[in-house]
This record gives sequence, C-alpha cells and structure tokens, in this order.
Amino acid sequence: MRIHDSLGAQVSHIQTKTPAEFDENFRQYGAKGYSLVFGHGFEFQDAAARVAPDFPKTIFVTTGGTRSSANVVAMSFAFEQPSYLAGLVAASVSKSGIIGCIGGTELPPVRAGFDAFSQAVHVVNPNAKVLTAYIGNWDDAGAGKEQALAQIARGADVIYQNADAAGLGIFQAAKETPHVFIIGSNSNQNNVAPTVTLGSVVIDLPNAFMSLAREVKSGKFTARAHVLDTRSGVMKWVLNPQLRSVVPPRTLQLVDSVEHQMQAGTFAPPASPRAPEEK
Amino acid sequence: MAATVAVIVAAVLGILAVGGYDTPRALAALWNGAFGSTYAVLSATLVRATPLLFVGLSVGLAFRAGVLNIGAEGQLLAGAATAVAVGLWVGGLPPLVALPMVLGAGAIAGAIWAGIAGFLKVRFGVLEVISTLMLNFVATSVVSWLIRGPLQEPTRIYPQTLELAPSVHMPTLIAGHRLHLGFPLAIVLAVTVWWFLTHTAAGFRVRVVGASVRAASSAGGVNTARTAALVFLASGALAGLGGASEATGVTFALYEGISPGYGYSAIAVALLARLHPLAIILTALLFGALEAGAAAMQRDANVPSVLAAVVEALIVLGVLAFNHARTRGQRA
Repeated sequence: MRIHDSLGAQVSHIQTKTPAEFDENFRQYGAKGYSLVFGHGFEFQDAAARVAPDFPKTIFVTTGGTRSSANVVAMSFAFEQPSYLAGLVAASVSKSGIIGCIGGTELPPVRAGFDAFSQAVHVVNPNAKVLTAYIGNWDDAGAGKEQALAQIARGADVIYQNADAAGLGIFQAAKETPHVFIIGSNSNQNNVAPTVTLGSVVIDLPNAFMSLAREVKSGKFTARAHVLDTRSGVMKWVLNPQLRSVVPPRTLQLVDSVEHQMQAGTFAPPASPRAPEEK
Repeated sequence: MAATVAVIVAAVLGILAVGGYDTPRALAALWNGAFGSTYAVLSATLVRATPLLFVGLSVGLAFRAGVLNIGAEGQLLAGAATAVAVGLWVGGLPPLVALPMVLGAGAIAGAIWAGIAGFLKVRFGVLEVISTLMLNFVATSVVSWLIRGPLQEPTRIYPQTLELAPSVHMPTLIAGHRLHLGFPLAIVLAVTVWWFLTHTAAGFRVRVVGASVRAASSAGGVNTARTAALVFLASGALAGLGGASEATGVTFALYEGISPGYGYSAIAVALLARLHPLAIILTALLFGALEAGAAAMQRDANVPSVLAAVVEALIVLGVLAFNHARTRGQRA
C-alpha cells in the first residue's frame, strides 16, 4: 500500500490457497497490464517462469526463489543475518544454556535462519544446546504452544520462533512460564508479548517491494537476482526496548559490532541451509 | 423459502457494505472473473471446475451406492503424487505413451487409496466415514514427506518436486488459454458414469445397494460386499484421476497444498446435484465459477480473501435454499 501512496501506482492484491492458482493470477495481472507483480513465496517461481515470456512488459517478482530471467526477478532475503544477531542475544540471556527453535514447516529460509542462529549461540556459549522442532503447519496455535511447552520442559529458556499464526501459541506458552523469552520473526513481533519478547528478526517487506517498484518506475530496472540483507535495511534485528536491561551490555556491544561488519560486508553467516543439527 | 434466499442475498450485500467495500464493483468483479470474458471462462472458471468435476463424480458415484466416501481429498492427493512420480520417470517418452501412463497411474493410486478403506469396510466392517477421512490426513502427510524426501527437487532446497517435462503436460485445448484436456475427459466420464448407472445391470445393482443394502442382498440376490468394494475402487480411481489431471494440467509439480480441499468441496458439488452425474457437471461449473469470481473479487475490488470466501459460502447456501424450495414446491 505504501507503493500506492508514494508512487501513485495502481495496486491490487490476492491471497492464493494453492499452487493451482498461481498461473491464473499471474496471467490475469499480466493481461491487465500491471507492470510489476509480486508473488511472495518460493512456490511462485515455476509459475513465474512459465507465465513471464507471454507478458514481456510485466516484471514478475518472486521471493525466496533463485531463478531470474529477462522479466523475472528472484528476490531472496538473507534471513540468516539478523538470525545470527538474535542467536548472540539468545545465548547470552539463556541461563540454562538450552535454547529452542520452532518453525512452522521446514522451508529453506526458516532452516537457514535456525542454522545461523544456532551457530551464533555456539559462538557465545560453546556448550549450549539448541533444540529444533517444526510444528508441521503455520496456523495451529495450539500445536505451537505444545511444542514450546515441550521444549521448556526440556530446559529451554529462550525460544526463537518462526511459525506465523502458530507462533502465537509459543508466545502464550512463554507468558505462562516464568523466565522464558521468545524471539519473534518476519514482522516486528515485540508488541505481541512485550514482557517476554527479546526482539524480532524482521523482514521489511514493504521496503523491499518499494525499492524495486521505484526502480521500475524510474526505468532503471535491470533483471537480476536480488539478495536483500542487512545492508539494504530490509533485514534487521530489532531489540525490544522494554527488555533491553535483560541483555548484558557486553552482548549489546557485540551485536552492534557484528551488525556493522555485516553492513560493511566483511562478515556474513553461511547462507545455504544445511542439515538440521538436532531434532 | 424465497425469504431465505432473500436473507442470503441481503447478507452478501450487507457484509460487503459493512466491510466498507465497493459492493457493485465487488459483484461486478465476481461476475466478470467467472464469465466476463472468454479468458475468464476458458482460463479460470473451466480450469477451476475440472478437479471439482472429477472429485464430484467420485463422491456422487460412491454416495449412490451408499458408500460414504469422504476421502476424495486423500484419493486425489494419492493420484496427484503418483502421477507426478511416474511423470518424472517417463517424461522422456513421447506424450502419446507417457501421458496415458501418468493418468493411469494416478487413477490406480486413487483406487488403491480408496481400496484400503474398502477392504477395511468389507473385511472388518470399519465405517468408511472414519477410515476415508483419516486416510485424507495420512495422504496429506505422505505428500509432505515425499516432497522433502524421495521426490524433492535435486537441489534439495525447496519442498517441491521438479517440474514435469512438457511431454507429460496435459495438452491445452485452445491456444493462449489454460483449459486443458482434463475438462473434456471429466465430461466424458460424467456421461459414462450416468450411462453406467442408468443403462447397465451393474449400475442398477449399485443403485439398489444404495437404496437398501438388505433388500438388495435378500430380495435382489446382489452380492452387496462385492458391489460396495467395486464402488470404492471406481470412486477412488475418479478422484485419483482428478489429482493426476490437476498435477499434469495445472500445477506441473507436486507441492504441499496442491489441493485447497477439492475433496471436501466435492461433497457439496455432488449433494447439490443430488448425486446425478450430469447435474454434477453443472454444480462443478457453479463452484468453479465461484472460485474464479472470488479470486477476481480480491484482485479487482480489493475484497480480502476471507471475506470473498464468506461471500462464496453464502452464495452456495443461497443456491441450496433455492434448490430445496423448488423441490418442495414440486412435491406439494
């Protein structure tokens, strides 16, 4: 909607339920002459590749994919970068040395985030244990809570969640258990449960779409794979100011300096997902 | 009854108005998205109606025999998964050889998936309502496993299979449109099922078993277990073929969520048609049109998807009420 307001563009959107609808909607937008179509999810990349040659005047953008062509842009997010920063904070806040990761399903960016997170945890505390679990869906808050309580029972006192609506159950579990903290993801979730949320790994999606929309409008657009990371300001770690006092000052300094290194391009956690280390 | 229909129409208008949406624009989008252009009809409505027609026939045939198969969803998934697995394997063969193999494999897989419930029913008396429903969840999980395991694309990054080779894509019927061979195939099957039920002895047995199992076996001398078992297999094959058609005609790969619940919508599609195979063509078209129109309502009138779904459901309720009112009028 910001694209609409600040660029004066006509904007339309749709939620799709199944891959069967991707072609249909891409084609409809292409046929109506939209100049920029965003498909948010890796599932869109096959459909974009199929549809794009028929609508050369439309630029199709998919997120999380890797394949680009003349009018297909694969936008991917360096989820691992802010996740790494979150890992540094999580390890320094945890008293038990046991830290949980809960995801919706095992999608590539989710796994990359957990890998980098866990790597950072081990940099701070080599003896830490990282538990990883996937709920199996993105909307069952009850199941999310169950997974969180199970990890808490195993001693986890910081949980990094990336499970959309199912993640709300994880916040709930933390609110009911003393001394358990959560790290949110995707949007700034610090206000979901301000008393237990250490911070959030944020994808500033509007910002990402906006910068591309500007490029197209100004005619400077060139087709390429866009990897958006902390440098572009699209990926960021946002500490919850209310819980700043919980984090040791030394860690805050460390996070700042690593963040600067990332922005300077001198340090980057490994991007490609590896096998999950522990179930 | 006219009052009920009026209430539902009012509810649709009211919801859109209260939500602050441009009601005339939303309704225009609903209509145009479904029937407004040749493109809407040939690339949206009929494409959406195709899987619904397959699974609607699957459910309709089963219900006619008194087999309460509510597992069309699982059978469709089994068909889609198997079709993709076979399609990836035989993709190098010429289409005339490869495509029938892929579709056949999908139908067989659907039949086997339904056959499990059929076997449990005939052998142990397990209620098919429970077994077919449970098998839906199993099928969903098996698909999730397949696309992260044996069928995952070779880079092992995305939870999906590779795209099928063009030789195992359903041919499209009209250049520039998405309508594919699956639709006429489903129409032929609808006519076949109708002809089978009304013009063959086996079809008569199916209807008799559906009307009364006891009468069929005692007075009619029908082997009811055998008839039920065959209906399970045929019903599963129809749904499996629907999955294969969807995978080779629309999605071209196996994903999670390849079906947004076609197997459940199928129950409404079949019941609204009062289980008549030819009427199922019409109800599948109605549901396909609604799906296409609801999508256009989102795109062109900015109505959110949940609200579009509510409008869709209300229209189905309205049609049901109207249908009911009409038949009551006939009987009186």
